[in-house]
Amino acid sequence: MIEISHVDKWYGTTFQALKDCTTSVAKGEVVVVCGPSGSGKSTLIKCVNVLEPFQKGTITVDGVSVGDPRTNLPKLRARVGMVFQHFELFPHLRIIDNLCLAQEKVLGRPHADAIAKASKLLDRVGLKDHAEKYPAQLSGGQQQRVAIARALAMDPIAMLFDEPTSALDPEMISEVLDVMVDLARDGMTMMVVTHEMGFASKVANRVIFMDQGEVVEDAIKTDFFDKPRSERAQKFLSKILSH
Amino acid sequence: MIANFDFDVIRRSLGYLFLDGMTFTLMLTGLATFGGIIWGTLIAMMRLSGVWVLSRIAQLYVDLMRSLPLVLVIFWFYFLVPYIGQWLTGASRPIRVGAFESSLLTFTLFEAAYYAEIMRAGIQSISKGQPAAASALGLTYWQTMRYVVLPQAFRNMLPVLLTQTIVLFQDTSLVYVLSITDFLGAASKVAQRDGRLVEMYLFAALVYFVISSIASFGVRRLQARIAIVR
Repeated sequence: MIEISHVDKWYGTTFQALKDCTTSVAKGEVVVVCGPSGSGKSTLIKCVNVLEPFQKGTITVDGVSVGDPRTNLPKLRARVGMVFQHFELFPHLRIIDNLCLAQEKVLGRPHADAIAKASKLLDRVGLKDHAEKYPAQLSGGQQQRVAIARALAMDPIAMLFDEPTSALDPEMISEVLDVMVDLARDGMTMMVVTHEMGFASKVANRVIFMDQGEVVEDAIKTDFFDKPRSERAQKFLSKILSH
Repeated sequence: MIANFDFDVIRRSLGYLFLDGMTFTLMLTGLATFGGIIWGTLIAMMRLSGVWVLSRIAQLYVDLMRSLPLVLVIFWFYFLVPYIGQWLTGASRPIRVGAFESSLLTFTLFEAAYYAEIMRAGIQSISKGQPAAASALGLTYWQTMRYVVLPQAFRNMLPVLLTQTIVLFQDTSLVYVLSITDFLGAASKVAQRDGRLVEMYLFAALVYFVISSIASFGVRRLQARIAIVR
């Protein structure tokens, strides 16, 4: 579904954010990307829908090369859902309108269909009663669930999560993870940048460990947690699992 | 001394002052605000587009307009627009442009430079995550601007935009250099005709003061309301 092959990215001419990154996410697979901050994991996931441009290598999503100048990027992005660290709901629109905007303007869905879809998804993330509110009236956890529903409203073929729980208060993390676990069990193709190793061990198929712009380890979940091969991954795991 | 003043001249000329003069002033202010904000927003988008050429053109435009005295620009356009029109339409002689059309064009283009800077600040006040989220949903650049960025930028900047419009309202009085009868022009004509300069200019000042003050008060109220909603 997502094929990342030998991707290099520089910021300016001096700083190389990604070095020869290669990995893939198969259909229905859940892949967790972890690593210390500044390791390039967020940059890598943003390259998948070209929110960040990259200079070398190729990324294909469902057979479409995203770096190809002939690719219709808005069309491609509409098929790949993305959830951000800071939710990025549109603050001037009500929750229901946040969910309907792209359905109507991008997919051309009739308003009634968009509303129906939005209501169904709000119900799924447990926020049906909040449809008429504005984002600022919701808690962080609720906003992130809305953001997930907003991405799902586009019927994506895959979902990208960029540290979806990092900006949340601890007591709100589980409500967001519950929605994500639910989604994973439904068979959604997911690429998730997160530090939540509990989530990884629960639903991930594979874990990718990145450090200093490189994919250091790309392993089946059980292999990664039981016997990480690289020293850097071992160090990282011992640090975040020690508490 | 006050006995020598004839304030009845104001009462006698009220119809002329407001129906002719103030109507013109408000129409020019309204239309120039409307056009200026639209054109200014486009300039701001060019400035922030990241396309070097567009960005430089926008910057040059803003710098040029802001470094010229308004009166000069009014004159300039009044005498130049007929020739530009001739050049554009390929007519054999300079086209006729009325004083109103000319001044409307001038104020729209001139004020656009100021509105552009306000809208630029407004657009920059929106976090980068917002357009990123819109793009990630598949919205195009124009859709992102239309539905996500500009509504928020406009809303954040509304008090500042309106304050600029109050300045524009006062600036429109400069059309007197084209002998147009705006509010001040009307007051001035009555003053000259009846030899009642002090009375008429006092009254004109009072009217500008009252209208601008009420408008400023309204803007402050609006600002407070927006602050709560956000």
